Amino acid sequence: MRGPDIAWYLAVAAFLFATGVLGVLLRRSPLIVLLSLEIMLNGANLALIAFSRLHGESSGQIFALAVMAVAASEVVVGLGLIVAIAQKRLDLDVDKLSFLRG
Amino acid sequence: MIVAAWICLVAPLAAALLITLLGNGISRRAAGYIATTSVLGSFAAAVVVFAKLWSEAPSDRSHASTAWEWLTAGSFHVGLRILVDPLSVFMMLVVSGVGFLIVAYSIGYMDGDNEERRYFAYMALFVFSMLLLVQAGNLVILLAGWGLVGLSSYLLIGFWHDRPEAVSAAKKAFIMNAVGDATMALAFFLLIQHNQSLNFPDAFAVGPGHGWLVNLVALGLLGGAVAKSAQIPLQTWLPDAMEGPTPVSALIHAATMVTAGVYLIVRTHSVFEQAPRVEELAAGLGAGTLLVAGLIALVQTDIKRVIAYSTMSQIGYMFLGAGLGAYGNAMFHLMTHAFFKALLFLAAGVVIHALAGEQDIGKLAGVGRLLPVTRITFLIASLALVGVPPFAGFFSKDSIIASALARGWYGDVLFATALIGTFLTGLYTWRLFLIVFTGEPSAFVREHLIGRSHASGQEGAHEDEVSGAHEHDVHEHKGEGPFWMMAPVLVLAVLSVIGGWIQFATLWDAVSNWLDGVAPPLATPSGSQEAVASVLAVVLALAGIGTAYLFYGSRKLAVPRIAWAQTLLEHKFYFDEAYDFAFYRPSVALAKALGRWIEGPIIGGSVRELVAGIRDAALGTSRLQTGLVRSYALAIAASLAVITIVFVAVR
Repeated sequence: MRGPDIAWYLAVAAFLFATGVLGVLLRRSPLIVLLSLEIMLNGANLALIAFSRLHGESSGQIFALAVMAVAASEVVVGLGLIVAIAQKRLDLDVDKLSFLRG
Repeated sequence: MIVAAWICLVAPLAAALLITLLGNGISRRAAGYIATTSVLGSFAAAVVVFAKLWSEAPSDRSHASTAWEWLTAGSFHVGLRILVDPLSVFMMLVVSGVGFLIVAYSIGYMDGDNEERRYFAYMALFVFSMLLLVQAGNLVILLAGWGLVGLSSYLLIGFWHDRPEAVSAAKKAFIMNAVGDATMALAFFLLIQHNQSLNFPDAFAVGPGHGWLVNLVALGLLGGAVAKSAQIPLQTWLPDAMEGPTPVSALIHAATMVTAGVYLIVRTHSVFEQAPRVEELAAGLGAGTLLVAGLIALVQTDIKRVIAYSTMSQIGYMFLGAGLGAYGNAMFHLMTHAFFKALLFLAAGVVIHALAGEQDIGKLAGVGRLLPVTRITFLIASLALVGVPPFAGFFSKDSIIASALARGWYGDVLFATALIGTFLTGLYTWRLFLIVFTGEPSAFVREHLIGRSHASGQEGAHEDEVSGAHEHDVHEHKGEGPFWMMAPVLVLAVLSVIGGWIQFATLWDAVSNWLDGVAPPLATPSGSQEAVASVLAVVLALAGIGTAYLFYGSRKLAVPRIAWAQTLLEHKFYFDEAYDFAFYRPSVALAKALGRWIEGPIIGGSVRELVAGIRDAALGTSRLQTGLVRSYALAIAASLAVITIVFVAVR
């Protein structure tokens, strides 16, 4: 067994994920919300890779790669939305962007 | 031979389909030719079938053929089955023969109508339906033909669909017929349930000892027959049906369809014979109808309605005969009636055609001098209708009247009724003939026939238009009508004279012998009864003619005016009013009440309440949707946390 114990990895992953969750819940700028989402995904990626290494097989890493690809696409869409919102000169505030209220 | 029977059946259907599918691709004339040719083909095929059947031994004259079966359940088979026996061949000959003449007449009569193709498609469809009815070899096909005949009658009565009267007359005919169809279908269901067989003649073989069943079935069949044949109490549709084109009246409402009820009784005679009370009821209804219709005909002022009432009256005679068990005589009268009644209608059609669609006998008065050929044919038809020897009606009607004598005291009552009927027949027929075809032309006739031809000649042809009209009229006058109209009229005139000669009671009974194998008669009048009936009937008929002459010909007597009687007759014995009061108004009142008290508050109200409830629930739920992304994220995170904790805790 090389390197630190799996618990360390999971602790870092949990920390990253919690940071992301807090960022999504507390910040109101859509840009920061997107960044926080990325941090959550990276926390999850870290856990996947840690387990992959623990069990000595590669499916976790492949999963992580797939998550990165999805994350990249998602950022493209998200940033596109943010640019569109900015072009409409609307406030960059997720609480004010509540047009879908029932 | 069976092939010929199938050709006879499907030829008019093929013509109807062809005309429909070709649509505007053919000229209007061509549609008429196609329909006429197909019905002629049917007639030729019917003649072939008849000849083959004639050459066979009387006991072998029954052939059935099934094209295919579409339902088989155990021993129960439903298939397209036709039956060829003397009775059906007899009807095939009458339907396709008279049908051919009338469809050919239509080529001239309907010339210039905007929708001739539709007309001829309907006519061919009607002939097919009627042939299906008479050739049917099982109950289902009989019912199908029965219904199709009602449908094509509806279509043809309402042919001029831009006239509200025609449309309502068509609906009335259809609804009255539907009442009869319903009772007949119920009778068929009872028969099928009892006999487990659809096919003729097994389907009608109800063994003895089923009193109420037989009576119910016979009543149901009688209901169907009464509705289709316009007998009391379902007779009110026939006079209104005169809104259709005249050839339609001739074909459907005189020669063929309305006689289907008589055919049905003869076809199902074995059921009726086991229900003697119902059979007597049929004869009684016939007798009642012939009196009532004869009386109403006395006051009608529409030329076609007078003839329509005389049709009801003559079918009353057929019902009388069929109800008394004189099947051969009833069918014989059916045939001769088809000839002379078709002739009456077609001759009236010539008059109506010549006078721009006018049907009021007051306006048509005196047209005979200008249409001499039509006058002679109408006279022949009238003599045949009244039953003056040697014209067709004499032989057939008198043998029905004679059969009444052979059936006890009830028969004697009917005999007296039928004799009064012959007097009335003479009276109303000659009233019509004398008013329309003798005397000085009325102003209306002058204007239409003389005015345009002779008057313009006298005034001198100083206007091109007038001389053009003059030439046109002279050209039309030469034959009184187009060739296609006059030729069938003349053929029918010949048939109305000689058509009765094929049977002379007690001397040679061609028709009765032909049909005896299918429906052996219950009443065979003796020679002296025949003689008594004939003499009395002819004397009374001539008395009727003489009375009419005194009133309308020489005008020696003024027409008596009895206010209440006239009102009663002009309202047709208040049948329409009674039905209006007994059925129409309660239905409308019931519908209104249901609409007001059931439809509105209960049915509509429940739906409204349901909608309101769902809307409220949706509004409440939609409040959860705040539009705040962070609150959604919190909800997701919180639920995930809860789920995770639960999973961990449970494990």
